[in-house]
Amino acid sequence: MRERKNNLKRSESIAGLLFVTPSILYFLVFFLLPIAICIYASFTNWNILSPNRMFVGLRNFTKLFADPKFWKALENTLFMLIPVPIYIIFALLFGYACHKNILGQKVFRAVYYLPFISSVVSLTLIWKWLFNAEYGLVNIFLKGVGVENPPNWLGDPFWTKWMIVLMISWKMIGIISIYYIAALKAVPRTIYEAADIDGASSLQQFFSITLPLITPTTFYLLIVGLIGSLQTFVEIQMFAPDGGRGYGVATIVFYIWQKAFSSSQMGYASATAVVFGLFIFALTAIQFIISRKWVYGGE
Amino acid sequence: MKWKTSPRRVIIFIIILVGAGSMILPFLWMLSTSLKEANLVYTIPPQWIPKPVNWQNYKDVWTASNLLTGIKNSSIITIFVLLFSTFTSSMAAFAFSKLTFPFKNVIFIMLLSTMMVPLVVLLVPQFVIYSKIKWIDTLLPMIVPASLCNINVIFFLRQYINGLPKELLDAAKIDGCGYFGAYWRIFLPLCKPAIVANIIMLFMTTWNDYFAPLVFTHSESKQTVQVAIAMLNSHFIQQTNIPLMMAAALIAELPVLILFVLAQKHFTESFAMTGIKG
Repeated sequence: MRERKNNLKRSESIAGLLFVTPSILYFLVFFLLPIAICIYASFTNWNILSPNRMFVGLRNFTKLFADPKFWKALENTLFMLIPVPIYIIFALLFGYACHKNILGQKVFRAVYYLPFISSVVSLTLIWKWLFNAEYGLVNIFLKGVGVENPPNWLGDPFWTKWMIVLMISWKMIGIISIYYIAALKAVPRTIYEAADIDGASSLQQFFSITLPLITPTTFYLLIVGLIGSLQTFVEIQMFAPDGGRGYGVATIVFYIWQKAFSSSQMGYASATAVVFGLFIFALTAIQFIISRKWVYGGE
Repeated sequence: MKWKTSPRRVIIFIIILVGAGSMILPFLWMLSTSLKEANLVYTIPPQWIPKPVNWQNYKDVWTASNLLTGIKNSSIITIFVLLFSTFTSSMAAFAFSKLTFPFKNVIFIMLLSTMMVPLVVLLVPQFVIYSKIKWIDTLLPMIVPASLCNINVIFFLRQYINGLPKELLDAAKIDGCGYFGAYWRIFLPLCKPAIVANIIMLFMTTWNDYFAPLVFTHSESKQTVQVAIAMLNSHFIQQTNIPLMMAAALIAELPVLILFVLAQKHFTESFAMTGIKG
């Protein structure tokens, strides 16, 4: 009897391991191995075009920190964090309105998801046309309302960056609102009923009940948004294929991509990727530490 | 439906209405532009309804761009990824949820940790690996890793299967099913709603992917649909046939758009479910 039980247990173990084998394979070959190679390559002068690969110690890193383009790209990368609070606030507003059954919410929701389901490439093609300095709808509109010199969106890095901020915020509002709609549904009704009895206005209820209770969702969205925003690439590559005038639009991922695939400096690009990976990791960790001060942790 | 009117509600409604306008106008403008003759694009004030309506761009785009090849390659990638990834991920989700096996939790946490590392860290070494095994300029880098494991799908389906009773497994075993039989005949069919929701998400992300095919393929015959339409993007707008470009972008959008219209409910659900547990 016991032997039969052991046999059963063993066959369950084997089945379980077999079922997760593809995942383990993925983890080892496409995740762990690349990370190991990346760390190793960051200490070499690996160039895909030349066969001799040499260990160069920390030289890639010192070169990186001395490169003004890297610092410019880092600055631009941090600039790409601006959309996160913007879309979070608007998504909360929109999600709250949907939660309160605003007129026509079904239609609104479908329309708000439209930019998100579209590919970034299609969106950038539309935006390039919309924001064309002379014939774009946006500048025609701006001239129409009396702006004499509307910005040269695609020619001036400053405005290109703001245009990208606008585009990412615009794209994300709908999808982020889904998370808030779900979170708002989960707030127990009884709390609002109690507040009603105490005579709290709906605005007071929003700020002292709703907002604190959905902080876990906000925190999750901030973390995911931060990690995603720091990796902005496609928009940059489409709007400013050379990184923009004075490298004014390029982000770190763009920088890595250029170093690796335009100048074939795999070692140097790997060093940048390692530094950037650690940077994102550190920022995320800091967010987790700060979160204890403001995120609602349950009963 | 209760609809109370107060000034605050009206203001919020107007903000949302303006927002909705900004979401849909670019797409209408894309459609309108795609139906124009190239020289009519630069008229000021802009024409919203093109006169004459010109369908020629939708014919020309197939010869003027690499769109057809792109659609073919993207379809191959998407079909493979949808089939295999749904299979491997649901199987893993079943194991993580209902079976006991050594190192279960360690393996699960390992998989979750892949979400923490930025994609760009993996990009360069992945390129190196693929060039060693001669995968560069094939569709395999887009198909194989994605087919083996999708941690989002695993996480999502595991959550779903956790909600199904463990007794189902015991019953299946009594009926003589092996573990694979229990998964294939009992649990997989029960997961159908969750799987449908995931397929929509997977379709969207796979079809819209641009970064991987950009980096891992070179020749025109291997371009995906996103790379093909990105090629129409020129630095100098004057050299671009804008209506043609808009037509191509619109055609590339259609599959996702159709799927979205058909299955909007599932789409929202999949996000809500993953979001709460995130």
